[in-house]
Amino acid sequence: MNSERNVVFDTVLAPLTDRQRENVEAAYALLEHSREPVHRQELPALQDPTSRERLEQLLRRTGRTLVAVDDVRFTSGYDDTVTAELTADGWQPLTPVERAVLVLVLVYSVAIPRSEEQLGADAWTSGFVTTETDVLKDGKVPAGVGKAALSRLVSCGLLARRRDRAGGEGGYVPGPQLLRLTPAARSRLQDQLILAAAPSHPLAAAIRERRNRTSRENIR
Amino acid sequence: MNERDTAVWWAKVRSGGPQREPAGSRSPDGMRRLVESDAQSVWLLAHLPTGAGPHVLAEYGQEPMTLSDLSGTLRVLAACLRCCWADPAADPWPGRLAGLEQVDTVLAALTPGRDRISRRRLLTAGLRRLETSRWVLPTPGHVRLGPRVSAWTAMDLSTLREMWRMLPSSDHPTSDHLQEQA
Repeated sequence: MNSERNVVFDTVLAPLTDRQRENVEAAYALLEHSREPVHRQELPALQDPTSRERLEQLLRRTGRTLVAVDDVRFTSGYDDTVTAELTADGWQPLTPVERAVLVLVLVYSVAIPRSEEQLGADAWTSGFVTTETDVLKDGKVPAGVGKAALSRLVSCGLLARRRDRAGGEGGYVPGPQLLRLTPAARSRLQDQLILAAAPSHPLAAAIRERRNRTSRENIR
Repeated sequence: MNERDTAVWWAKVRSGGPQREPAGSRSPDGMRRLVESDAQSVWLLAHLPTGAGPHVLAEYGQEPMTLSDLSGTLRVLAACLRCCWADPAADPWPGRLAGLEQVDTVLAALTPGRDRISRRRLLTAGLRRLETSRWVLPTPGHVRLGPRVSAWTAMDLSTLREMWRMLPSSDHPTSDHLQEQA
């Protein structure tokens, strides 16, 4: 059922040798489909400048970009310019409830620990668990739709479930998909979290001022 | 369609699953078109060469982003596949429409010990999760297979055919299910 050729792959990878093509396709598969970021040892295409350039082109042609998670691990994420175009057109695969639940988990698991300096400034994985009570009771999300949203966010990797070994409630933490955010996307999300969690904080005022200034400059 | 539009379409399908478009619309490069049975619309799916597909991960010992069966979602998919894949010698897409009662009969055999209410809850939640990635397309009272099933490779289908044969048919309910109905 999968025998047709892919014109994007054929065009971008045409100048490569068979060996280089195999490495680039494998790197594309690992970056795009792995649940977790991939160590550079598994990605020989990154070591060869020609292959790396073609891999980055392949990702770009399919709306993606290479994301370095740390010095040795890589993944792929949405190209920032593509994200900007899609969001400007109103594209949004998540429902308002799913977005609200995701924000609540990010507030409890990232924003609060970060404000207490228990989490790094640009960290989006967290061991601080958000309980179902935090989301459904304190977050005032109706139980039925809230549980459905949690389940869907877990199934698409935006959240991960944490069981409590001591028999307690357990809960949710940000999922591995958050590691796919580009530096620009992480910065936007950080701003949005501050605006959502502390709208009257001076930092929120500074973000609003910066955005107003940027949009005024763009109009000019 | 230019490179920019193609990239945007790939991102749409990646984030929102296969997209349904009018039959006359143009295909972005590298995407497959699946024509709906009414020929009025098509589904656009990313088509990856075998060497760039998710099967490569097994060779590297990497864990793919798969649906977990923690809540029984895969059993719901198996029950849908048994009811909607009319002829396992053929491709599963587009398959046939199945009533939720039929799917529930197969699901009863796959989830022994669950009562009717708990099973119905599992079916509703499972269909919702599967619909997200277009594995199934539910309508009130019915379900059919979604365009995503056309991404299965020949090897996947060979395994799934074996599974299909092992699953009970909805024409032969289990004794538990018959007792519930009585």
